[in-house]
Formats: sequence, C-alpha cells, structure tokens
Amino acid sequence: MSGGEAWRGNIRARLYERVRARGHDSLTAFADARPAVPLYALADELGGDDVAAVQVLSALLYEAEQRKQVTRFVRDVLVRELSERFPKGWPAMLDDAIRGEVAMALGSWSAYTPDTHKERVRQARAALRASPPPPGWRPLGPDDELLRTILPDEEA
Amino acid sequence: MGEVKGSLGRVETAFSKLAARPPALGGWGLNGVFTRYLDQGSKQLTLLHGELGSATTLTDAASEIGDTDMELGLLRMAGPKLQAALFGTLLLATWVDFLHLADAVLRHCPMCSVEKLFVDLHRVQGMMEPTLMDLASHDPERVEAAATAMPELMGKLTHEFNTLHQETRSTMKLGGQVIAAMQAMEMVTLISTLKMSLPRVPPSAPATLGVGLVMSSGGVMVGSRMVVSAEWVEMMRRLVHAGVISVPAVSAAVLIHGGQVMMAQAPQDLPRGVRDALGDGPEVRGMHETGRAGAGMPDAPKHHVLPQEHREWFELRGFKGAMDIDQFCVRLEQSHHEAIHGGGNWKLGRTWPGEWNRMIMEVLREAEVEAGRMLTRNEILKEAAKRMRDYRIPMSFTPGRGR
Repeated sequence: MSGGEAWRGNIRARLYERVRARGHDSLTAFADARPAVPLYALADELGGDDVAAVQVLSALLYEAEQRKQVTRFVRDVLVRELSERFPKGWPAMLDDAIRGEVAMALGSWSAYTPDTHKERVRQARAALRASPPPPGWRPLGPDDELLRTILPDEEA
Repeated sequence: MGEVKGSLGRVETAFSKLAARPPALGGWGLNGVFTRYLDQGSKQLTLLHGELGSATTLTDAASEIGDTDMELGLLRMAGPKLQAALFGTLLLATWVDFLHLADAVLRHCPMCSVEKLFVDLHRVQGMMEPTLMDLASHDPERVEAAATAMPELMGKLTHEFNTLHQETRSTMKLGGQVIAAMQAMEMVTLISTLKMSLPRVPPSAPATLGVGLVMSSGGVMVGSRMVVSAEWVEMMRRLVHAGVISVPAVSAAVLIHGGQVMMAQAPQDLPRGVRDALGDGPEVRGMHETGRAGAGMPDAPKHHVLPQEHREWFELRGFKGAMDIDQFCVRLEQSHHEAIHGGGNWKLGRTWPGEWNRMIMEVLREAEVEAGRMLTRNEILKEAAKRMRDYRIPMSFTPGRGR
C-alpha cells in the first residue's frame, strides 16, 4: 500500500458507489446513521485503503452546501473530532498535556471548517474558552444543545 | 511495538559500546605518507558515532509520541542509520586489520617494498570508499544498496588481505627473516576480522552456519566480530517484522560472518532455515517495501510533510538535527501529490480548499492560540500523524533536501 490508491481513478464515483452499496443514497445519510463516529473511521468503512477521510469531509460539505446546512455540517465535524480524541467526553483540564490535546482538537476544527464559516468557528471557540463545557460533556451529533448555543444555524 | 523498541535499543547499545572503544590507531610504525590511512580510520569512526547518535535520538523520540503509526515511522527512520552503523563497523574493523598488517610489514619486513604497500592500501581504500559514501549518505535506498553489496566487497577485501599476506610471507622467506617477524605476521592474521571470511572449507559452510545459529550464544558483538546467536536472530526477526531493517541487509551481515563471502552466491542466497529464522517471507518482504518508501515507486519525488516554507517555525519547536523537517519527507505519486496540494477534482465542497500545507499550518497555529503556548515537537508529530492518516499519506519517511 502506497497510500496512492485513494487518489487514483474517479474519486467521486468510487465514494458514491460505496455509499449506495451500504444502503444510502447520500453521504450525509450514511454519516447521520453513524453519529459521532470519527471521519477516518467513516473512510475506513467505505474503502479501507482507497477512500481518504478528507474526501469524505469534502463530499459531506458539498451535500451540506446543496442543502444549505453548512453550519450543521461544521458542528458535525467538531462532534466527530471530539469523539476521536475524548471518547469519554470533555476532559477535566488536569494538566498541560490535556490542554494541548483540547487545543489540537479545536485547531483541527478550524482547519477542517470551510472558509465561509471560519470566523464563526473562531467566535465559537472563544465562547468555549470563556465558559468551558462541564467535564464529561459528550455531544452525540450536530444537534447537541450546547453546540447549537455556541454555533446556531443561520441558514434556516 | 515494545519488543521492537527493546531490540532496537539493545542493538544500539551494543554498537555504541563498540564505537566507544576506538581501536588503537596511534603508536604504530605508520607515519609519513601512511598517516592518511590512519585518518581514514578516524573518519569512519566519526561516521559511526554520527549514525548511532541520530538513531538513538529517533528511538528516544519514538518512545514519547503516543501514536503507534508515527512511532513505527520514526523507528523505520532509525533503521537505515543502524544498517549504516552495522556495515560501517564491519568496514572499520576490516580497515584496522589492513593497518595492522601494514604496520607489521613496515616493522618487520625491511625487504618489503614500502611503495608497493602504499599502493596496495590505496587500492583497498578505493574499494571501500564508494560503500562508505553510500553508508554516509543518509539515503535509505543507497544504504540498502551498499548493505546488499557488502558480501561481495568483503569477498574482494578478503582476497586483497590474503594476497598481501601471502606476498609478504614469501618476501620474508626470501629474505630469510627471523622467526619472530614471521610470528608477528601470523598474529595479525589470527586476530583479523577477515579470518572468518578467509577461505575455509566453502562447500560445508551452509551447514556450519546453520549449526552455528543454534549453538552459539552471547552478545551481538564479541570483539570486532558478530556472533550470530539465537538471541541475535530473534532481535533481527523483530526488527525485520516491523519493517525497521531489511532482510537483504541482515542476510548480508549473516553471509559475511558466516564466512560465505568467497562463494559465488547471490547475496540473498541464505540457507532456507536461516531465512525462516529471520522471519523472511513474501509478506514480510512486501511489508518492508511499503514500510520503506511505498511499494513500486522508489523513484517518486520526495515531499516535505512539514512545510519547508515554515522551517524556522518548526526549528523553534525542536525540529533540528536528526529530527530536522528534511528527515520527514514522503514519496508520493504525482496524482496523490497534486491532489493534496489542491489539484484534481476530488474536492466536491467548494468552500474548503483542503490544501495540505495550509491545512496543517492552520491546525498547528490555531492550536497554539488555543493553548496559549508553543506546541512541543511530540505534539506536532502526533498531530501530523493524524492528518497524514486523513490524507492517506504513507507513514514511511525518507530524508529529503531542503530548498
């Protein structure tokens, strides 16, 4: 395996063929059926070696753009990022290493956010810093109440 | 994982001990024009220390990352350095043998031609030079090639040593030298590294080697030579399995020490039992290939994982020396490389560019804003590992050049 498999051929066709084979007609439906599952795990389920997590991310964004649900998509990205790093929920800020891990989760959130929403994510991060969630907080999907408070829908 | 690290650590320690015991290069009758040959020895020793030092740095770093893939990636980076040290040690020991012989000749054989000795040594040095250059190149592929070609080189060197020895002997006989001088000559031959590979009874060698593998015990190195013990084989098997070092390289070492270099054998032609003991097999060989540079694309261009436009930023966070960002390059097929730098048509979502350099720097910079401090080198590596996984970038680093 060279890692190149995921970048050969028709990436979009491969992605949707796999989604259909798993009984869904959109990637969003496939992902919604697997709430809080990390992106890389979604990619692994779809392809093993020939589907990359960022391809799943980009296709989910595309569908969200079509449905005008990009903000919901952005919240979903954070949910999956957090569940990968903190499967037991938001950590108690016990030491510098944990603070570093939280920082990486939020930095990654910004980097995986589309340009149109980066500013709003920056504000949401500031809100999280100002009043951190209680330890153990574990959002199970993009409709989590706390998440909707710091990053409410505006397309609707 | 722990076993691999342990094995690697022990091999490193063994070599460090060896390298820390510099062969007595002084106090010989070798001076004047021969000084350059002594310098050659010192140069080799410096190379060994360098390789071992950086291998240790990498192994230490690997033990602190907390990301299995990245740990393996780092250990694989240490592999070529260990291979370079392994074969460098062998070459150094051999060179010291030649120096011993030359010393004895100069002291005890006034009849022998100094000019001829000088020319002979020069020729031997010329034979070793390309291999040393390869070993010192830090390029995994060149180190590997040099290692695989070592048995042949050792065969040639043995031949040279033998010839020089025989010639001197006959010159001494002609000159009617006293017995003491002859004995000095024989002593040199007796302690030589090359003794193992001086012609013995070639046909029976494979069988002997098989027995030796089971029977002999003890450390990796005894004096200047390697004892191929069961324990050693077990350590090598683990390292081979993890893709840290390659079967051809280990085979080359076993061949040399098994004294088979005089036989016209292909380098990989180890007896079956030995190959099995090393854990060789198609799947292991395949894994090593992919572990190294990505199968089937040894010539694909190398790319920096940590963007070199931000070299100073990474230097400030500890990416220096053996952990320089130039050490963290990967070979990618062109389509893969273009795609992660924003090319191709994979990005269905319009508003997320997904370009690697921009993405990874944004993760790291925003995380520093969030943490209110600089990230550590280990935090950065662990994060890079996660993002490489997301882009399906193989965790097999090869050193590259900075612009």
